[in-house]
Amino acid sequence: MNTSTRPVGAPTRPGLLGLKRFVLRRGPLLVFALLLIYLAANSAAVLTANNFWSSIVQAAPIAIIACGLAVVVMGGGDDAISGGIDLSIPGAAAMATVVLSLQLSEPGAPFWPAFLLALLAALLVGVVNALLVGYVGLSPILATLATYVSVVGITRVFSQNRRINVSHETIVALRDGKLLGVPTTVLLAVVVVVLLWFVMHRTSYGARVQAVGGSRDAATSAGIRVRGLLASTYLIAASTAAIAAVLLVARGSGSSPGIDERLLVDMVLATFIGAAFSARNVVTVPGAMLGAVLVSFMSNGLILNRVPNSWVDGVKGMLILLVVAAAALQNRERK
Amino acid sequence: MTSTQNPPVLRMSGIEKSFPGVRALTDANLEIAPGEVHGLVGENGAGKSTIIKVLAGVYTPELGEVSIDGAPVAPLTPQTVHQRGVRFIHQELHLVPHFTVAESVFMGHELQGRLGLKKRQMRERSARILEEQLGLQLDPGALIRDISPAQKKLVQVARALTDDNIRLIVFDEPTAPLAAVEVEQVLGAVRRLRESGVASLYVSHYLGEITELCDRVTVFRNGTDVARIEQVSDDTTREMIHLMTGREAGELFPPRNEPGDEEVLAVEGLGDGKTFADVDLTIRKGQVLGLAGLLGSGTEELVDCLIGLRKVKTGTMRVAGKPVRFSSPAAALAGGMVLIPRDRRHDGLVLDLSVGDNINLSTLDETATAFAGLNRSMLARERAERMVSELDVRPADIARKVRLLSGGNQQKVVIARSLLTDARIVILDEPTVGVDIGAKAEIYRLIASLAAEGTAVLVSSNDPSELLGLCDRVEVMVRGRIVESHRAEELDRDRLVEAMTASVRNDEEEAR
Repeated sequence: MNTSTRPVGAPTRPGLLGLKRFVLRRGPLLVFALLLIYLAANSAAVLTANNFWSSIVQAAPIAIIACGLAVVVMGGGDDAISGGIDLSIPGAAAMATVVLSLQLSEPGAPFWPAFLLALLAALLVGVVNALLVGYVGLSPILATLATYVSVVGITRVFSQNRRINVSHETIVALRDGKLLGVPTTVLLAVVVVVLLWFVMHRTSYGARVQAVGGSRDAATSAGIRVRGLLASTYLIAASTAAIAAVLLVARGSGSSPGIDERLLVDMVLATFIGAAFSARNVVTVPGAMLGAVLVSFMSNGLILNRVPNSWVDGVKGMLILLVVAAAALQNRERK
Repeated sequence: MTSTQNPPVLRMSGIEKSFPGVRALTDANLEIAPGEVHGLVGENGAGKSTIIKVLAGVYTPELGEVSIDGAPVAPLTPQTVHQRGVRFIHQELHLVPHFTVAESVFMGHELQGRLGLKKRQMRERSARILEEQLGLQLDPGALIRDISPAQKKLVQVARALTDDNIRLIVFDEPTAPLAAVEVEQVLGAVRRLRESGVASLYVSHYLGEITELCDRVTVFRNGTDVARIEQVSDDTTREMIHLMTGREAGELFPPRNEPGDEEVLAVEGLGDGKTFADVDLTIRKGQVLGLAGLLGSGTEELVDCLIGLRKVKTGTMRVAGKPVRFSSPAAALAGGMVLIPRDRRHDGLVLDLSVGDNINLSTLDETATAFAGLNRSMLARERAERMVSELDVRPADIARKVRLLSGGNQQKVVIARSLLTDARIVILDEPTVGVDIGAKAEIYRLIASLAAEGTAVLVSSNDPSELLGLCDRVEVMVRGRIVESHRAEELDRDRLVEAMTASVRNDEEEAR
């Protein structure tokens, strides 16, 4: 977490302007919190240990790809139009689940070669994104939307749009395993998040990526090679898709078509709501992780309150709008 | 002055550089002695930025040699130049708003240990560099978006000082985005650097800064060094202007015009309820009125109120005796008043449209057919061509994109457009920011001829020489109030600067 404190004597804004800033900054988080409180008050099933753990387990793959997306956003900047975003992560993850499932559908098949293959498939998507954004110069949102749609299409073709069951021992062990009472999948997600946190917030690589995202001109004039760094963020994002795929296969005991759609909404929401957790109000790795936990609690809360599935998507869509609109307004305010 | 035993820090000799169709540098030379502050002056297009880009390794010259500390730099690339201890402070404040001071200072060369970034060490070192080498006390944990422009500039300089083997720092217009009071902070920092033995190349349009700061000055004109001034004195400004333009300083300003008696614009008790209040102004027919004020003094907001970009809260405005209150620049234009904005690139021009289209932009009604409003392109062409030749816009090509013009010529295009509107009142906000001396003289001539034709002109500026040379009367604004009002003849430069900077010095800049 970015723990920089505001400098002494930083301008304090009284009155209406201060209120407006506060609403823009913390508003989305408040709406989120109120929604969660409402859901908890309305259904006794929400505040139970059972729901807690099931939400956390569900949050694990979302957290991994949301952190992957956070890396891309940190490198591309949070501008509403030209900023960094990778919509293809859920697509790459869905493809990786199919690759994994196909390889592991035979019991006794070796796990690591299968994972490596899935990772390569996901990285291929990352390389295409990196080329399109870093070298062709397409806007990230367009480029990754195109790769997302293509990847999902290709995946449908070679999975024949069917569910693939997996009862491989490694996957089962991952699904049912616990260490000190914590599910293995959750631990795995924590390891990935901590690793990404270290890379992005505690290394010069991460500092440079953030510099590129903060101001490309500033980074260039500081002698930072912008293109390579930008490209690398898409490769990191693709890798998170492959790791998340392992958890998704474990959770679903295989791959099922259409898994990418819900992931896309949850990932975007988690990453951008996560900005509200940072002192500087920017997208960060820990913020994205907390965002994923929030989103997962909300999804489960809505379901426990018997809100129909189609409404759940509608609610999430509106929350995304709220979050990104508030961020865009804030950027405008600053200029 | 120069030591003969030590080789110069930098010697660039016989540099030639051409671009398609243009010879940018011809036998250009530049030599900087160890530890000196060396000024580099010249009009826009004289080759200053080209020779700096050659030094930076961005442009490869066709001919010529660059050596640092007596040893040639070969090959000449950004990396080799960097290795030999040359750093560049760009004109733009290239910083990340949500980074801390320490993060910005170490951007691109972070200190990393095995356990991650050495954040504390970076904070301590950046605070030390800022205080000891640049004389600025600043919390290294402060965010860039919360500090003042001058402080940002010094953070940029501090970034160049994190290495030990720094030989030369190139400052490219370091004070351009700063208010006058903040300039002193930057000049002080450059002087401190000289004391610590680092040489500086100081590029600036502000000749006053050059004479105040530099040990020697190289003057560029038409792609070559026309002179090197070895001894800087009080007369150096005149000498530099003469060398840069081939004309005398006095010729910069046209003779003043005697204003008429008829009041065109009268403002009483004007205020926006926030930044300024109680402003009284009158401008008569043919008068050039100066509005003097530093950045943040309220002049910018006052101009915005006059033209309808900002809401007037108190007071009255009359144009030719009739009360008015403009809700937009379009309304002001209909009322006979036009603004030539300070930020021509953002507010004044559509950069990707042609010179001709930009010139006709405010008067499209006049070139439109009565039926269906079709554009009469022949008439528009004629009008644009007439303005281009009257104002001597260079190159004289109305089809060229405005983006490709120099700052001075872009400004002429904005002025041309305003002239076509036949406005009775023309407001110019910082008309010569980023404009070279030659184009300045022409812009001044245009302003004077506007007044001679009976237009009432208001010039808002923070350049005292400009106000004194151009205006008939100067109103001084400090902290949102008109504090003094004088006929220009009663003032001299020092007196005006004193009035403009009075009571501002000790107050904090309100951070945005």
